[in-house]
Amino acid sequence: MSTPIVVVGAGHAGVHTASRLVELGYRGELILIDEEDGLPYERPPLSKDVLAGAESHEPPALRKQDYYEDKGIRRIAGSAVTAVDRSAREICLADGSTIPYHRLILATGSRARTLDVPGAALPGVQVLKTRADGRNLKAMLRPGVRFVIVGAGYIGMEVAAAAVKSGCSATVLEYQDRSMSRVTSEDVSRYFEDLHVAEGVQFAFGSSLERIEGSDRVEGVVTSDGETIPADVVVVGIGVLPNQELAEAAGLDCSDGIVVDEHARTSDPEIYAVGDVTRFTCPREGVSMRLECVQNAMAQADSAARHILGLDAAVAEVPWFWTVQHGVRLQTAGVRSSEDHVVRRGDPADGKFAVLYLRDGRLAALDTINALGDFAAGKKLIAAGARLDPVLAADRAVKLATTRTDDLAISR
Amino acid sequence: MSNNITVIDRAGSPSQVEWEPEQTLMEALRDNDFPLLASCGGTASCATCHVYLEPQVVSGLGERSEDEIELLEEAEGFDAETSRLSCQVAHAQSLDGITVTLAPEE
Ligand SMILES: Cc1cc2nc3c(=O)[nH]c(=O)nc-3n(C[C@H](O)[C@H](O)[C@H](O)COP(=O)(O)OP(=O)(O)OC[C@H]3O[C@@H](n4cnc5c(N)ncnc54)[C@H](O)[C@@H]3O)c2cc1C
Ligand code: FES
Repeated sequence: MSTPIVVVGAGHAGVHTASRLVELGYRGELILIDEEDGLPYERPPLSKDVLAGAESHEPPALRKQDYYEDKGIRRIAGSAVTAVDRSAREICLADGSTIPYHRLILATGSRARTLDVPGAALPGVQVLKTRADGRNLKAMLRPGVRFVIVGAGYIGMEVAAAAVKSGCSATVLEYQDRSMSRVTSEDVSRYFEDLHVAEGVQFAFGSSLERIEGSDRVEGVVTSDGETIPADVVVVGIGVLPNQELAEAAGLDCSDGIVVDEHARTSDPEIYAVGDVTRFTCPREGVSMRLECVQNAMAQADSAARHILGLDAAVAEVPWFWTVQHGVRLQTAGVRSSEDHVVRRGDPADGKFAVLYLRDGRLAALDTINALGDFAAGKKLIAAGARLDPVLAADRAVKLATTRTDDLAISR
Repeated sequence: MSNNITVIDRAGSPSQVEWEPEQTLMEALRDNDFPLLASCGGTASCATCHVYLEPQVVSGLGERSEDEIELLEEAEGFDAETSRLSCQVAHAQSLDGITVTLAPEE
């Protein structure tokens, strides 16, 4: 028997790497190790259907129970990998046992960043990253419960929506002057803020959290403006940190993420890293980034599997992301930059519009609000590096795909 | 009870697949190693699970959601009568024996 391929972490990236290896023809030994118990699951529903759904339910499994056995993937759940010994080419588990590897894939993902303020350890302070977090938070969604949410990013906004839907009150504290400022433009932020306000969510912008008060559980928060807001639950949604410690200790190049190349290879040619834990140079824009989304996890998983099996690289899907708040769906494709020329397509008052981000005349990114046709068309235009006529593109009556000005240009 | 369905891959070759009751059609295809990206996990957001079903099967399934139609209309090889997002097709006894054809990759 050959030495196994070992995958550490069974989130979207780890599971997809294992399944791609099998789909692409790998028949050797394959081991998938995860510190979490139970079947690997989808994370996006944790802040969407799982919270907003009426009945208590669990996030869907990434693959059904029998899948792993059927495909010859040996799963070790509830056991953390504690070290990578590169010279011996083996990993160590928490119980002291070791497993040799022929190729190693680090898919350790990210963890929620926590607050560093007095009171942050009080019961009632909650992050949302794992199935267990989802269960805890769901149990707190009872009518009348007062939520304070720190951070108006995707997760904070989704949690706020679920809270008011369950009859809780929700106040969102955000240091910046608008919601989702890292990922979208002002138009889109304002649209979603209005939607939240209409549903009863309150916002405090330009405001950070100084301390959390309470004796044996959260009772309130004190903001940088000196205001005290009563709270039963504080949800912290202030971003994630890459779980790069294993790689760092093993001497792999890391820089706020494990540094990988276009094949998802680390500085050790026998070790790959995929998903949230990685930092790479975006081939489209040439900038170094971490991308915390399912699409990136799956694309890197595919690249790693192909490279390990000696297959040609696939053309990667344009990065994309979605969020659902109060039933309104925002989908983003491409990676926006604050210097992009912003073109609004359609009227927010119709409840269906898009915002296009043009860079040197070509479509670099877009946000669509309940406009899936524009999303699907836009994603292809971004992939093609298409130039758009900004005036035509602003008219939702004109199909987005027909607003190209470079129809004959060679797409790279 | 599981359904037995015929799946025609992108090279045109058919194979028999078991579709288990708790799965959507997308899940059945994915778990049987067909190359469906299904990158949104089945939330009608990505169109990478596009398939063709026989026209009478499609008409028997009822209305497609507005989101599904919008996504499909922009998809490679969209066909008004036969295109579906496989993640939006739930298991039903009546779908035993159908033929599913994978749409071209985007
Ligand atoms: C609430 C929420 C909502 C989201 N919504 C969206 C969305 O709408 N769209 C989208 O694209 N993305 C969304 N994301 C982000 C998306 O879930 C992540 O980008 C994706 O899960 C990354 O996958 P991953 O496999 O890299 O990491 P993870 O999913 O973080 O999985 C890593 C796994 O590795 C395990 N692990 C870590 N260290 C070790 C170790 N030493 N030994 C063993 N196991 C270890 C971890 O416990 C974990 O199970 C959301 C995330 C959250 C939390
Ligand atoms: S899996 Fe994304 S639309 Fe079906």
